Amino acid sequence: MTRILLNSRLDDCLSAWRSAGYRVIAPSRSNNLTSFDEVASAADMALDLVLPERTIKDHFFPQTEPLVRYEIKKQQIDTEEMLPPDDKRVFFGVRPCDAAGLDIDDPLFGWDYKDQYWFKRRENSVIVTIACTKADPFCMCTSVNLGPDNPKGSDIMLHPLKDGRGWQMVTLTDRGKALLETVVPMLQEDAAETASLANVPVKFDVEKAMTWLADPANFESHFWKEISQRCIGCGSCTFLCPTCHCFDIQDEGDTYSGIRRKNWDSCSFAMFTMHTSGHNPRNTQSMRWRQRIMHKFNYYRGKFGVNSCSGCGRCTRQCPVDMGITETLQEITNTAK
Amino acid sequence: MRVVSKREEAPGVRTLKLEFLNQEHHEFFRNHYQTGMFGLYGIFGEGESTFCVASPETRKDYIECTFRQSGRVTSTLAAVDAGDIVTFRGPYGNRFPIEEFEGKNLLFIAGGIALPPTRSVIWSCLDRRDRYRDVTIVYGARTVADLVYKNELDEWKQRDDVNLVLTVDPGGETPDWQDHVGFVPSVLEKVAPSPDNTIAVLCGPPIMIKFTLNALEKLGFSADNVYTTLENRMKCGIGKCGRCNVGSVYICKEGPVFTASEVQAMPQQDL
Repeated sequence: MTRILLNSRLDDCLSAWRSAGYRVIAPSRSNNLTSFDEVASAADMALDLVLPERTIKDHFFPQTEPLVRYEIKKQQIDTEEMLPPDDKRVFFGVRPCDAAGLDIDDPLFGWDYKDQYWFKRRENSVIVTIACTKADPFCMCTSVNLGPDNPKGSDIMLHPLKDGRGWQMVTLTDRGKALLETVVPMLQEDAAETASLANVPVKFDVEKAMTWLADPANFESHFWKEISQRCIGCGSCTFLCPTCHCFDIQDEGDTYSGIRRKNWDSCSFAMFTMHTSGHNPRNTQSMRWRQRIMHKFNYYRGKFGVNSCSGCGRCTRQCPVDMGITETLQEITNTAK
Repeated sequence: MRVVSKREEAPGVRTLKLEFLNQEHHEFFRNHYQTGMFGLYGIFGEGESTFCVASPETRKDYIECTFRQSGRVTSTLAAVDAGDIVTFRGPYGNRFPIEEFEGKNLLFIAGGIALPPTRSVIWSCLDRRDRYRDVTIVYGARTVADLVYKNELDEWKQRDDVNLVLTVDPGGETPDWQDHVGFVPSVLEKVAPSPDNTIAVLCGPPIMIKFTLNALEKLGFSADNVYTTLENRMKCGIGKCGRCNVGSVYICKEGPVFTASEVQAMPQQDL
């Protein structure tokens, strides 16, 4: 016997969560864009999507985020730290790759200096993931040792029922259990058959690719120039990546008052590493693409023990010139001995 | 931090002397700062820039920073006056292991605006002069005007226990210039002390470091006895913003101080 959440009771759950003080955020469609937004009812949710175009990263590491407010008076500066609000949030209908992305970034924001902006949001959020029963040709979670029902980063996993009436609910963490407690009356105890998971073919041999990347001789390989020739350095892949975390710090305001902000930045941009002198360590697009791949599949693993890729495939799906991690790692797998 | 004084070092190059406004912050700095570390200096409304702490670990009542006026932040910093307030985050990064240098000869080599990080180590050692043997400083700039810390260069020149070698690039000399004319690596080959029991500390622009490392190798210095600093563009200083890495090494966390052998082990195309 397992707990079943029926489609027809979803709105009741939403009401219960709201009464318990949670904001509910789910995939939704707005202005020709699919992203995670606050929803009022189940009808606002776009649960039919394989993946929204934008990731839930937006709600943990926003595109622009105020850090400090400053006000300058005569010989005195008043500052105020602008931590995110304490609001509790339920993320409903997350896909396993996006949930895993959060888990992958935790050690980065936590090592040495704990980023309160990230962790405050993490601690106040419950991730309710729906296992994937469909995939598109860009999905590649299985290539990075994850999969359509991988629990990494999720607090509750929902398995769609075969008859389409709802989901089987499996709690994975204490935070998930606490959320489930608030909706027990809306759930059914029932035996039900779950739908079969999406078939996501393995596209490259990640172990083999990692071995190739770890060989210093390949760092200066002509391969990087060839594979990145058509990269226009737009940064879309980094902004739409659930794990890319690079940022810039900029002040917005004037001499007397304003806000110091943390903004997304991208290793694809030439200015990213440019010195004042004009010297630029990564002064070509191929060096910058190499940095992105090396960071995800070599440096990050060396520091934190995981690859910085959860296999969502957005970098390829939304690339304006049809590049992406999949192609690069496939090519490496094909050429590596 | 409050600006105590501002000094013009060379065209476009200034030194700010800063004092702490907050006792707790000063105490933190006293307990953590060691020579080689860096900080992010800023002005609200303009942003932050990364420079070394140019003052030595033996003088922690204040912070000095020296910078070239170049972009938005440094232009604003260049315009501050005594009494103005600037921001400082740090000290970040690792340090020169100067206690391991004790009992050894020291060879300092710096180019242009890279004397400030070297100067922090120089004074940290000169303030405890009896712990070190011969001290040689080789400093070069493009022109005579571009030499920074001119007062201190005079002081070092007059000291019996410091051998100061100055050089300017060909064409950068003035009619009354008495010192060397030539690039740092070639002058170094003429004046360097024996590599026996000698530690070299080298700071400069990437191109100077590259050729000076070759010269030091030729002179017989082991790459383990040569220390340098790598100063990449940084934003956070705490290993998160993702831009200062050379290969897998984050300069802000594992650096900025490295031995030449550590630098040689990094992917050279990423430097």
